[in-house]
Amino acid sequence: MNAPEIAKKLEDIPPGSAITIDMKIDSYFDFIRATLDLFATRKDLDCIYVTSTIPSESILNALSVLEVDIDRVYFVDCISHSMMGKTSQSDHVIFVESATMLENIMLKVQYLMKKSKRENKVVIIDSVNTLAIHNNTKILSEFFHILLNNLRSKDAYIFILNMEGQGSEDLDSMMNLVADDKFRIPAGQEENGDGNGGGEEASE
Amino acid sequence: MDAARDRCVTGIENLDNILNGGIPRGNTVLVTGSCGTGKTTMSMEFLVHGALMGEPSLFLSVTEASDKLLKNVIPYDFFEDSLIKKGKLIFIDLPVVYELFGMTKGELDFEDIDLLVKAIADIVRDLGIKRLVIDSITSVCYQLRTEEKIRQFILKVGKSLSEYGCTSILVSEISPSSERYSLYGVEEAIADGIILMGNLQRRGDLLRTLQVVKMRGTNHSRAKYVLDLTPSGVLLVPLLKGGSI
Ligand SMILES: Nc1ncnc2c1ncn2[C@@H]1O[C@H](COP(=O)(O)OP(=O)(O)O)[C@@H](O)[C@H]1O
Ligand SMILES: [Mg+2]
Repeated sequence: MNAPEIAKKLEDIPPGSAITIDMKIDSYFDFIRATLDLFATRKDLDCIYVTSTIPSESILNALSVLEVDIDRVYFVDCISHSMMGKTSQSDHVIFVESATMLENIMLKVQYLMKKSKRENKVVIIDSVNTLAIHNNTKILSEFFHILLNNLRSKDAYIFILNMEGQGSEDLDSMMNLVADDKFRIPAGQEENGDGNGGGEEASE
Repeated sequence: MDAARDRCVTGIENLDNILNGGIPRGNTVLVTGSCGTGKTTMSMEFLVHGALMGEPSLFLSVTEASDKLLKNVIPYDFFEDSLIKKGKLIFIDLPVVYELFGMTKGELDFEDIDLLVKAIADIVRDLGIKRLVIDSITSVCYQLRTEEKIRQFILKVGKSLSEYGCTSILVSEISPSSERYSLYGVEEAIADGIILMGNLQRRGDLLRTLQVVKMRGTNHSRAKYVLDLTPSGVLLVPLLKGGSI
């Protein structure tokens, strides 16, 4: 499934819903591109991107290579700090020291929600799997429960990435509980592993 | 929201929710915590929101100079210069008041207390002040020395402010390990409300926290919240328990 096809699939989602996106790592950038194209560019929304998977800088670099408009993307970056990586100042990136500080992730999302002038927002949480590395399922489900309810009440579109093969039964049943729906992005036949997946950068 | 008593809406949205609509008007609230927990910042925000709602708001500073404090409010994205110019947001250095009344001995006696209370009450009445912050009451207490005088001062100040419909925050400095909410214990016993701010260590992370311990005149949450100081003001979310104790 390529980016336009994914966008088509996401088009009819009503605001205020939280959707788990089950996908393989190969579809990573197609998904991001589809979401930004549909929600940021076409629907004119701000995008809040919570990453505990890949440093925001790497995502930004990849997106600019793909010529995706990143003006409306704001990051909550929970990985750069703990990787002792660069945490350069930018209006578009807020750092959280560690992915264990779930409350601070909620606070930064709340801050960006408040700051955004646009009526509606799309929030991407990347990913439930990397958050689960740092947090047990109990605290994680509490986190999602509070965060998602809050975002739903503000009519945000919420996508929670769930990487196939990185989950567990526990995690899946938790997501079934906290999210409204689940979409599976089938691995594409067109993109025969062009090496553009996020996995490589994450393991640098 | 309880309709029972008129509320002083703090303007800190999450805090107003915790308080079921705001601080009951006329209450004297002790905002207490160790150094760097955000007491001054939050108290200041309380005043800026008040000023924005048209309520004359006064910051009585004991330890820090007003011009330095002013610098801290300017970065707020809701701050307006005109609040200062229109006299809606006022800063007064308490040492200046001491000097005005010749209270330079270092220790205030009962007579001084009456003078000081009257001076504050006069300012509040004359300027129609609806929100007052004293930062910090602990510094004032140092000058009062005895529990009896502290009790006198807080009771009298609280009473006259309440009569003018002024809601006040007394900032209290305590050590991180303190088992009390105030240095002398008197402050917390007299106050209508106590908001405790602190730091919480969890698995190597340090979180800022806030908890409303007591607030007369309203139902309120007593849970612990995690706090963030942002250019949009104080934000709060519930502390996650994660199934632990
Ligand atoms: N808007 C803000 N954003 C980030 N940090 C802030 C902000 N305002 C204040 N701080 C920081 O928060 C800390 C607490 O400040 P302060 O309110 O003075 O604490 P206290 O009065 O309890 O000692 C200070 O280190 C200050 O630099
Ligand atoms: Mg202070």
